Amino acid sequence: MSTLGYFDRFGGRYVAEILQQPLVELEQAFTEALADPAFLAELVEQQRNFVGRPTPLLYAGNASRELGGPPIYIKLEGMAHTGAHKINNAIGQAMLAKRMGKTRIIAETGAGQHGIATAAACARLGLECVVYMGDTDVRRQQPNVAGMELYGATVVPVHSGAKTLKDAINEAMRDWATHFETTHYLIGSALGPSPFPDIVRTFQSIIGDETKRQMADRGIGGGTLVACVGGGSNAMGFFSTFLDDPSVRLVGVEAGGRGPAIGDHAVRMSGSGAEDGIIHGYKSRFLVDADGQVAPTHSVSAGLDYPGIGPQLAALGERGRVTFTSATDTEALEAVKFFARTEGVMFALESAHAGAAAIRLARQQESDKPIVINMSGRGEKDLFITSPLLRLEEWKEFLESELARIGGAE
Amino acid sequence: MSIPISLMAHLVAGYPTDELAKAAAQGLAEGGVSYFEVQLPFSDPSADGPAIQSACAQVLSRGYTVSEGFAFIAYLRQMFPQIPVYAMTYGNLAYRRGIVRFAEDAAEIGIAGLIIPDLPFDHDEGLRQACTQVGIDAVPVAAPSMSQQRITLLGNHGYPYVYASLRAGITGTETEIDNRTLLFLDSIRGSSRLFGGFGIRNASQVGLLAPYVHAVVAGSVFVDLIGAHAGEGVAGVRQAVREKARELTGM
Ligand SMILES: Cc1ncc(COP(=O)(O)O)c(C=O)c1O
Repeated sequence: MSTLGYFDRFGGRYVAEILQQPLVELEQAFTEALADPAFLAELVEQQRNFVGRPTPLLYAGNASRELGGPPIYIKLEGMAHTGAHKINNAIGQAMLAKRMGKTRIIAETGAGQHGIATAAACARLGLECVVYMGDTDVRRQQPNVAGMELYGATVVPVHSGAKTLKDAINEAMRDWATHFETTHYLIGSALGPSPFPDIVRTFQSIIGDETKRQMADRGIGGGTLVACVGGGSNAMGFFSTFLDDPSVRLVGVEAGGRGPAIGDHAVRMSGSGAEDGIIHGYKSRFLVDADGQVAPTHSVSAGLDYPGIGPQLAALGERGRVTFTSATDTEALEAVKFFARTEGVMFALESAHAGAAAIRLARQQESDKPIVINMSGRGEKDLFITSPLLRLEEWKEFLESELARIGGAE
Repeated sequence: MSIPISLMAHLVAGYPTDELAKAAAQGLAEGGVSYFEVQLPFSDPSADGPAIQSACAQVLSRGYTVSEGFAFIAYLRQMFPQIPVYAMTYGNLAYRRGIVRFAEDAAEIGIAGLIIPDLPFDHDEGLRQACTQVGIDAVPVAAPSMSQQRITLLGNHGYPYVYASLRAGITGTETEIDNRTLLFLDSIRGSSRLFGGFGIRNASQVGLLAPYVHAVVAGSVFVDLIGAHAGEGVAGVRQAVREKARELTGM
């Protein structure tokens, strides 16, 4: 847990005064919920029968042999309902909101994974759901928009700023500042003003708790845990169980994108492009320009394309407890292909960054200590992005024939 | 109107162009405003509504810098020395330059004070101290959702000016001035002078609010007006803004 909302010098509650009290109330409600056996029992029930937990820990024997290094395991978090770890947080916070008497949920989403998870959780709990999504993302992530709408959510395209995730966060904050009496802001990553980083990590820590048990069941321990880092929710959920275990190395993987130029990546910790900043309600490391304006970012994976990083991860990085590295767009795509071919497992592009870093580590590593990858999401959601990259001509033909079939051509 | 109305008018620095922003300031001065509140545009202004946000985005899209914003304020100080300027912006622009240096730079060009809504008064990164050092005001923002405990805490700091945001939410949507609002203003007044705003668009709102605050703040109404008349050039913007300012000040 944070100390008064801070993780070393990061974190805090840098929001307009209007939201200070709603955040105090949220913190109180969260503390009370965690002490309530009935709440915890319902959470376990939802995790088991709605989310589909526990998710498996797969021994990737073929991949390990081909790389000739240590044994590789994959935590198949992408097998959770709606296809990613996001549902762990969504159902937890939706339950918390309901307990607080809120009737309406708002959320931001980039790729749409958090939006899908939130929409599903709200449908299940009978809560109204509004998802803010940058207009650019609405256009390139139509399948997820369709999914959210099927779950009964209203998807609001955001036309301001860069029209991506960060702008959706601004819009959600605005909505919350106006409607906090009825509305909970269900933030999707381990960031934002305190207590959100603590709340999100807590609901995601089921990933690490399960992994620890599953490793013990198999008689493995120590080694390296690898997770991709957008805002940091899957990484914090995976790592938090192991923070006090010095035998476990923790590696966070950022989006190296197309390269090191500003605007081509989302590397906040492992490069030299980031600065301390105060944005979106918290202090952390951010990609900004000389004036402090938020800089553009890029990643082939929409979920890693965010200019900041959750405050706890920033602190753990500076302390050296979590080591950061990055993987490029190309390396991530290669990793998707590699694990699909060797293990019959299709990584989400975000998670494939962790896969790519694990491949690199396995090639270098001498010891036989295991490498455990958190596959935060499964890759089917990315077929509209990977297909044009991997098989452009066939994909064009498919889209054209689909258009003709549904009567949209000419 | 029986009481003289003191109006704080909000401008986005450089919006829509340097020339038109200056014309708008001229119109405001002629319309009798008592204070300028000049927003230094930030890329992610999450406490502002759509009108101000898109104005900021438009200005930033031409590569506008904080230094240009300060230069605009320096121009206002030179042209309208009788109208104090408060600069409003977001924490990261001040933090990036360094809070102390930001306050020093502000003081040097004659800014009267800084309003930074996402640096709350109890975690202001040293803003108040830095401002005091250079003899300008840090103006904290108060909001109706504040607990009694926070109101007391704010009062204990003895700020000379407090900016009261009068409704839940963001700039640019209409405010109804009801009893609750007036009670809130009474609760935060203490020994501070109040700037009261958010959603002020017409003279009757101003008239109702004016007796309870040191100055009434009007923002989006001018930003909207400037945007709508931008096509008419310097004279059009100046006239439209002047007329609105006159309506609000009762001049
Ligand atoms: C599958 C998947 N993994 C990772 C992320 C990155 O988020 P975080 O760093 O919070 O886990 C996302 C975000 O959308 C995602 O969809």
